[in-house]
Amino acid sequence: MFESLNDPVDVLTSFVGGVMRPIRFRWQGRVIHVREVTGQWNRREGHAVLRCFTVLASRDESFELCYDARGPRWILSRAWNEPPR
Amino acid sequence: MILLVDMDAFFASVEQAHHPRLRGRPVIVCGDPGRRGVVTAASYEARPSGVRAGMPLAEARRLCPRAEFVEGNPHKYVEKSLELLEIFLSITPDVEPFSVDEAFLDLMRLGERAGRRQEVIELSRALQQRIADEHGLGASIGIGPNKLIAKMASGVQKPRGLTCLDEAEYRRLFWPKPVQELWGVGEKMAGHLRGLGILTMGDLGRARPEVLEQAFGVVGPHLREAAWGHDQTPVVPYHEGVDPKSMGHEVTLPEDCRDAAFLEGTLLRLADQVARRLRGDGFAGRTVTLKLRDHRFQTCTRQRALSIAVDDHLAIFEVAKALWRANWKGEPLRLLGVSVSALEATAGSEQTELFARDARARALQEALDRVRDKLGEASVVPAGSLTHRRGLGHVPFGPLAKVAARKPERRERPKPGRKDAP
Repeated sequence: MFESLNDPVDVLTSFVGGVMRPIRFRWQGRVIHVREVTGQWNRREGHAVLRCFTVLASRDESFELCYDARGPRWILSRAWNEPPR
Repeated sequence: MILLVDMDAFFASVEQAHHPRLRGRPVIVCGDPGRRGVVTAASYEARPSGVRAGMPLAEARRLCPRAEFVEGNPHKYVEKSLELLEIFLSITPDVEPFSVDEAFLDLMRLGERAGRRQEVIELSRALQQRIADEHGLGASIGIGPNKLIAKMASGVQKPRGLTCLDEAEYRRLFWPKPVQELWGVGEKMAGHLRGLGILTMGDLGRARPEVLEQAFGVVGPHLREAAWGHDQTPVVPYHEGVDPKSMGHEVTLPEDCRDAAFLEGTLLRLADQVARRLRGDGFAGRTVTLKLRDHRFQTCTRQRALSIAVDDHLAIFEVAKALWRANWKGEPLRLLGVSVSALEATAGSEQTELFARDARARALQEALDRVRDKLGEASVVPAGSLTHRRGLGHVPFGPLAKVAARKPERRERPKPGRKDAP
């Protein structure tokens, strides 16, 4: 199941053709490579609009990342805590 | 011809589309899965186990222990709904979003094509395919000469069904069915109809209009017309908008509760949420409704009409509190809800008159609204609701406060200066 985290994370991000995309991020001492962005949406917090992504990582792990331009900073909001198959 | 596009198990399907690990598995969307609540949506993989929306999570867990319980995310679903709206608008500008996962499309502007059944069916199949290809979601489509038949047809085959009915086919299909299958007939009205000897939709179609009018007032003859498949309701394009009829919030409590202070704090929080929505959308309402559900799942709703329209949380709270005190006998409650109806736009002069009575309170309210607009809903809350919020594990100042509050030993942190930078 998903675990709610809200951990600040460092994310290597690409901005290509006006499109933002997380490439890889560091969490719990690991560098996690984003294999696929499977969904994205906006979340509003007061005036701020956070851009959120669901991503599939190289070990079939699922994560939710949110970019908050106020920092700017990235937050790892949720992770799928089932061991990789 | 009119289409009703109904997204199949929408919330659960969006989660499955976003998280490939969930595909093909039973998924139950709910509030916080670690707390008590009800099922918001169940995927088609979970439904054979008997899981249904509105069911308590504990029962869903018993029926489908291998299901994945996922906390719902309204932002996600609304954004997906808007993306789907773009697809619908590429077919016709006459699109009426009926809910976050349903929309009516009036094909009238397609001219003769809209009248040719086979063409409309092919267009609908192409639409289903596009939704699947671009979003990985399933949709069931009902096609009919009016909104009623399109809506009824959309439920005939699910998921990914496609059903086209004319009036005669509609009657042939639905007249043998129980009367509560008619769109708009709930369990209470069905019981009333059964009391009149009206058991099926066919019985309703054959009933004497004066009998129905006597029993249901002006609604009675409309029910009979609906049984015949007659409906003149237009598709209202989304850009013309439809004013809401009511706004409300409800919450399932973490556990059955008879603590009056906690319940009162909950009512205050709900009144605050409703008031914020009313003001945000420019409405005030003249009727406040309280909903109570006890530990035996007995639900009671009580409402009070007001002489003036209100949109501030204290006015709503005072009425809800009075209704609660008058109707709560001390039994443990599992759910509380507050809603406001009989809405009117606040641009009217009556509001001005109302607000003039307490200009300072109004100015304070507007200042607080500006703070919350800028910093988020949790930045300023009524003090009376704080005990309640702590009880629900509420995070006062957003995600970062949660990070700060977490015990540091809970998880191993990356050491500064590591070389494995991303």
